[in-house]
Order: sequence, then C-alpha cells, then structure tokens
Amino acid sequence: MATVPKVEVGTDYKEKYGFFVPEEYVFKAKRGLNPDIVKEISWMKQEPEWMTKMRLRSLEIFRKKPMPTWGADLSVIDFENIFYYLKASDKQSKTWEDLPPDIKATYDRLGVPEAERKFLAGVSAQYESEVVYHSLQEELTKKGVIFTDTDSALRDHPDLFKEYFGTVIPPADNKFSALNTAVWSGGSFIYVPKGVRVDIPLQAYFRINAENMGQFERTLIICDEGSFVHYIEGCTAPIYTTDSLHSAVVEIIVKKNARCRYTTIQNWSTNVFNLVTKRAMAYADATMEWVDGNLGSQITMKYPSVYLMEPGAKGDVLSVAFAGKGQHQDAGGKMIHVAPNTTSTITSKSISKGGGRTSYRGHIKIYPGANNCKSFVKCDALLLDDESRSDTYPYNDVDAENVTLGHEATVSKVSDEQLFYLMSRGIPRGEAETMIVNGFIEPFTKELPLEYAVELNRLIQLEMEGSVG
Amino acid sequence: MVSTEAPLEDLIFRGEPDWLRENRRSALESYQRLPAPSKTDEEWRRTDVSRLDPSAFSRFEKAPAHTTMATNLPKGVILESLPVAARDYAELVQPRLFSLAQAHRDRFTALQAALFTGGIFLYVPDGVEIDEPITGRHFSHESGTTVQPHTLIVAGKNSKFNYLDEYIAEHDDEAGYRSGSTEIFLGEGSQVGYVAVQKWGRNVWHFSDQRAELGKDATLRLFNVTLGGKFSKTRVEASLAGEGSNAELKAIYFASGEQFFDFHTLQEHRVGNTRSDLLFKGALQDVSRTVYAGLIRIEKHAARSDAYQANRNLVLSDKAKATSIPMLEIDNNDVRCTHGATVGPVDPEHLFYLRSRGITEATAKRMLIQGFFGDVLDRIPFEHARKLVEAELESRIG
Repeated sequence: MATVPKVEVGTDYKEKYGFFVPEEYVFKAKRGLNPDIVKEISWMKQEPEWMTKMRLRSLEIFRKKPMPTWGADLSVIDFENIFYYLKASDKQSKTWEDLPPDIKATYDRLGVPEAERKFLAGVSAQYESEVVYHSLQEELTKKGVIFTDTDSALRDHPDLFKEYFGTVIPPADNKFSALNTAVWSGGSFIYVPKGVRVDIPLQAYFRINAENMGQFERTLIICDEGSFVHYIEGCTAPIYTTDSLHSAVVEIIVKKNARCRYTTIQNWSTNVFNLVTKRAMAYADATMEWVDGNLGSQITMKYPSVYLMEPGAKGDVLSVAFAGKGQHQDAGGKMIHVAPNTTSTITSKSISKGGGRTSYRGHIKIYPGANNCKSFVKCDALLLDDESRSDTYPYNDVDAENVTLGHEATVSKVSDEQLFYLMSRGIPRGEAETMIVNGFIEPFTKELPLEYAVELNRLIQLEMEGSVG
Repeated sequence: MVSTEAPLEDLIFRGEPDWLRENRRSALESYQRLPAPSKTDEEWRRTDVSRLDPSAFSRFEKAPAHTTMATNLPKGVILESLPVAARDYAELVQPRLFSLAQAHRDRFTALQAALFTGGIFLYVPDGVEIDEPITGRHFSHESGTTVQPHTLIVAGKNSKFNYLDEYIAEHDDEAGYRSGSTEIFLGEGSQVGYVAVQKWGRNVWHFSDQRAELGKDATLRLFNVTLGGKFSKTRVEASLAGEGSNAELKAIYFASGEQFFDFHTLQEHRVGNTRSDLLFKGALQDVSRTVYAGLIRIEKHAARSDAYQANRNLVLSDKAKATSIPMLEIDNNDVRCTHGATVGPVDPEHLFYLRSRGITEATAKRMLIQGFFGDVLDRIPFEHARKLVEAELESRIG
C-alpha cells in the first residue's frame, strides 16, 4: 500500500466531535465542490440525516442558480479552486512569519495585543479569552441563554435548531445562500428566552473556537418574546485569510416585543470576496437593528435586511463603507414591509479613496395591505479624490396605501470650508481631513461600544494616511 | 406594424430623400429584430408593455398632423415640417436626426425613427433671439391610429428662444399608438426654453424621448407636462457636453383613473463645470400608478459639477401607487450631488389646519394640490406655456 500522509488530527478534535478518525482514513481538504465533499463535511461533523440532505439539496440549487449579473463583478471567482472545509488544525498551520508585512504593521499601529493579533491573523486560537468566556457562559446559562457555535448547537439543541434553521434565509434565496447552506461551518448560535435581557454585548470572539472566523459561517439568533440581545461580530483589525471567498449567512428571528442589535465590523484583507446574506424577521412591536461596517475585502456585497412581519415592527440599518485602492464596497440594506404600521430607516455613509468604489444599493418593498408604513433612507457619500467613485441605487416598491417614503442622498468631497477652518487653526491638512472623515461617520461610531469606536477611529486614521492596504 | 413595404412607401416615405428612406428602413428592421422589453430588464421591470401590439394600430391619420404658430420670425430662422426640411436642409437635418434619440436603442425608438409622421424642424441661426414663443401643435383625430410626431431643434451659437410642443387629442377617449419625441441641440452660449404638454387621449399608448445636448455655456430650461394616455413612457435626458452648460429639467404629472406613467431621466455630466437641476413632481388619484427612475452620471473628468435631482409624489388615493428610484453614479470627487425622493399622502396636519378654518375637505385638498405644484409651475420658462399648463391642471384637479 502506498504511503498515505497522516493527518495531524488536533487533540481537541476528538473532544469536540467525540469520535476517532481511523488511521487508514485520511481526510484531506480537497479543492472544489461536489456532493462527495459535501457528504464528507457532514460526516466529519456527524450531523443528523436531515442536515446532510439539506446540504446536498442546497448544492444542487447552488449549481442551478446563475451568478448575479448586477452589483460587483464576480466573474473572477473560481469555485473549483476553493477549499470548502478545513479542520481547525489545518487552519492554524500558518505561522506569524507567513503574514504579509502590511497586515503585521497594521496590528502594530492599532496596538492590538500580541495574542489577539495571532488569533486575528488565523495563526492561533484565542485561548486567553477562555476565562472570560467561561464566566460569561455561567451567567448566561443561569438565565437560560444559549450562546454557542452553530455546530455545537445542532448537536446539543437539535429541536430548537431544526425549528429555525433555514427559515429566514432558505437555501434557494440566492446563489451564495445556497452555497453557504451546502458547506457551512462555524458561526454563532444564540437563543434568548422570553423576557430575558442580555446586558453585555455578546461578542463572537469570546468563543474559543477558531472556526468562528470561517469562510462559510452560519449564524442563527432567536430572540424570544420581550427579550434583548446585542451581538457583535468581527473587529476593526484586519483579519488575514488566504481564503478568497467569504460567504456567510446570518438569520435572526426577533419575536414580539423583543429587540436585537447586530453589530458587524468587517475588515477582511483585500484579497477577499465578501458575499454575505443577512436577514432578520421582526414580529409584532419588535425592533431589529443592523449596525454594519465594511472596511476590508476586495469586493463586498452585503445588504442586511429586515422583514417586518407584524404590526409595530421596526427595522433599522446603519451602514458604513470605506473603499480604498482596488476595493468595491457594494453595500446597503433592505426593508420588506409585510405588515401594516411598520417603520424602517436606513442610514448609509460611504467613503471612497484612492480609486475605491462604494455603491449604496437598497430596496424598500411595501406589500399590498401593509398600509400606513413609514420608511426613510438617507445615504451620504464622501469622495476623497478624483479617482474614486460612488454610486447610489435605491429601489422602492410601494404596493400599499397611505405610505410615507423618503429617500435622500448626497455625494460630495471634503468641504474646502471645513478644511480651511481647521487648517487656519494650525492643524495640518492630513489630520484635518481625518478629523472631517471621522466626523462624517460619527453617527455610526457613536452606536459602537467604546473600545470598537476608538479602534475604528484609529483605523480610519491609518487608512487616511495611506499607510495601510 | 405594417406588413408590406409598399403602403409605407406610399403613406409616409413618399417624396423623402434617399438617406431618410434608408434610415427609416434600417430603423424598421431594428424594430422587427429587437426583442420585446423583458421584465428582467431594469428599465422595464415595473413597466408592462406585454399587452401592447403596435400592429393593432396600423392606420395612419390622413388629416394634417401638426400646425406651427410663430409670428415675425427673424431672417434665417427655419421652421418647417420635418420631412420637408430633410429634403431642403439635409446638411442641417441629416447629421442630427435621431443621433440623440438613438433609433436602435429599443423597439419603440426604432418605431419612432421608422415611422415618425410629420414633425417639426426648427433652426435658429447664431446670435438670433426670438421674443415670442414658437408653438408646435400636434393633433390626433381618430381612435385606433398611429400618430408619431418628432421635433428637431437646432439652436445656433448665442441664440435665444422659447418653444412649446402641444400634443392634442380631438377626443379625450381616443385609443391608439402615440409618441412625441424631441431632440434639442444647443450651440455654444444658446438659451433655450422648451415645454412639452402631452394631452393625448386617455386610452392611448404613448412613448416619448426628449433628449438634449448642451454645448459650452448653453442653458436649457425644459419642462414636461404629462396628462394623457392610459400608458405613457417618457425619457428626459440631458447630456452636458460643454463646460459651463446648465440644464434645468422640470416636470409635472397628474395621473388619475387607471393611468400609468413612467419617467426615466438622465443627467449626464460629460465635462466639468456643468450644472443640472431636476425636479419631477406628480400627483396621483384613483388607481393610477407612476414610476420614476432617474440617474445622475458624473464622468471621470467632470470636476466641479453640480447636480440636483428630486422626485416628489403626492398620493391622493389609497389605491394609487408611486414608485421612485433616484440613482447616482459619481466618478469624480470635486462635485456636489444631491438627490431625494418622497412618496406620501397629503399631510394630515395641513389638511386639519385648513379644515379648522372652515374650509371643506374637498377645497382644502385642492388647495394643497395647487400648493404642491405651485413652486414647480413657477419654473415654466415662459408666460404663454405657464398659463396653458395652469389651466390644464386646474381643470383636472377640479
């Protein structure tokens, strides 16, 4: 028998999945996508049969759906040349030395602690946070809150999981949600019981599992009646990955009187295609808030949406995009008013620099019978030089009665007057521009927890100096 | 439309120069070749033409299609029927006709280029100013016919004049296929006021392209009024091709009954130091529907451009529906662009205020509609047209 290279199965692997990989079996992460790979992923995770079937069905859908012809240019993605599943141990095979210098420099400049840097760079998992995570878990468990990774949730809470998984974003929703459903791995699962308020924001990187930064993460949040939770994913420091495609799906259910806030700060390295489907269902008098910041990636296409299902539901999207050289941020939001007396707002702020392109793309849909709805969209774009580009594509479909709909957008450069004012007070030009940009996105930063806001401001400063990316 | 070539030759091609006949034939080929607009095409996603069969209206009207009214035209000004001008002033007409409206753009512009009937050509030489507005009136007399007038306006350097196109149906309940397209070429420093008032019958299909190209320091004040048709699709497009040019594009529409109006606008800033200002205001009654989609495009080197775009819809009935899609594509940073769109009912507070002063609900509503249109009516470039539009609107608000 030919010598088969042995796979280093991480010790945690056994604990996590509770089975032993027979010696003769070699799970090698293959490139490309076919039913066998999907079956293997499901088998490796020891998933129930319904999930395996769902994955296979999604793969079919993914294959049948055409590539979107609108938005950013996606023709360069080679689906056959992508690893669709990597074990955690494979992921950490990189070393600190392999990282591109600019990423390392950014960590230095941002003042990210050494251990955290390695985690962000995908070099190691963040074991340091284990303690914090455990004490948090105790408190949450007391309240009946479930906060875990999505794979564990499928294993430990199968009924709850099956009831909601894929109900907000079915596999056939779009090509990339089908892809995600076929090969998903990692992500967060949160269940907040009736009337429970989770006071501290739950952050993805509290969890020790390295997979939460995965390519095809799958997040499911269920806020039961009258509950509240704030979930934060990502961070301001650039996340280095060699994977070129990131296609996550986030599903949220906000029941009667509940409120959910989901904050994302995404700063993928600039080789990444970031194609994410995020959607929430808000029921009677519930509130869903997306706070969405997009800084990194080569191409981002992301339109967090809220389906306003019952009267009194409220949806809110606050989005910031920063596109530097070679980047295209195609972001925005969608508000689907299904029930009467629902309200929504979308606020978008975008900044383009050094030939970058930002596009706002939004959709307000008000179904027949969803009377007395109100919706307001405001987009502001700042162009920092004459190589950059900004587009606004708002789509509005109103089929109901007595609806008030407003849309406003402005595109401008840094105002000469503001610049003059600051410079006349002895502030150098570069610094003055940075201050103006920070002021421009202030409605966004003030919605962030303090440490994130500080980091974001620092990052904008770096981007403005042109020392990064 | 018409199956054999012979009747066409007889009906409308007769007496026309070879180049025009050739253009018409090629446009007709495009019409037959081009696919029907599909629902997946963004421009037609909300605009349903699947029930339109232009060949159902293959008759042309025999009565004169248009008259022009102008007094004391200065020397050198040409005001002529388009087919005659194509023969007598080919050097002016040939390079321009359908160069802006783009005969092969879609089925309907192709049909317009192939079968335009009559139409008006206006040429105002360099430096000529005309005080009195020139009026072109286009008529339809019968149901079931096709009427496709086309206006071509050429403004010489530093010329200055106002022009009004009126599209008039003899009977308000006429059905048929109608158009009313206009191409305006503005020479350096020219100032043109253009008003189009569309009052075709309430059962017609109407397609129109109004497109202008502005040279250096030219100023266009365009005003579109859409009232007629069961289906009306209008494109209003200004191409700012010369530095210092300035386009003001305004429109009002009043839709009632089962009317459907579609407006697509383009403010194309091709060079720097240009300005465009667009305001489309509409009121909707009954079960009418309107679609507005506008685009501001600022090209790479068009620095110091200033563009404004707004669409305001007043929805007077619970069953009426207005869709508004204002878009921007900005490729230069040294610009100022603002756009806005609103769709909403009459403000209940305004209504309450008037009611509390003893004004009946119907009167109060009428006053609010008049007020809504008031600021844009003031922008109609000349008195004659303003009075006409005010009277038309008055009779419809009722």
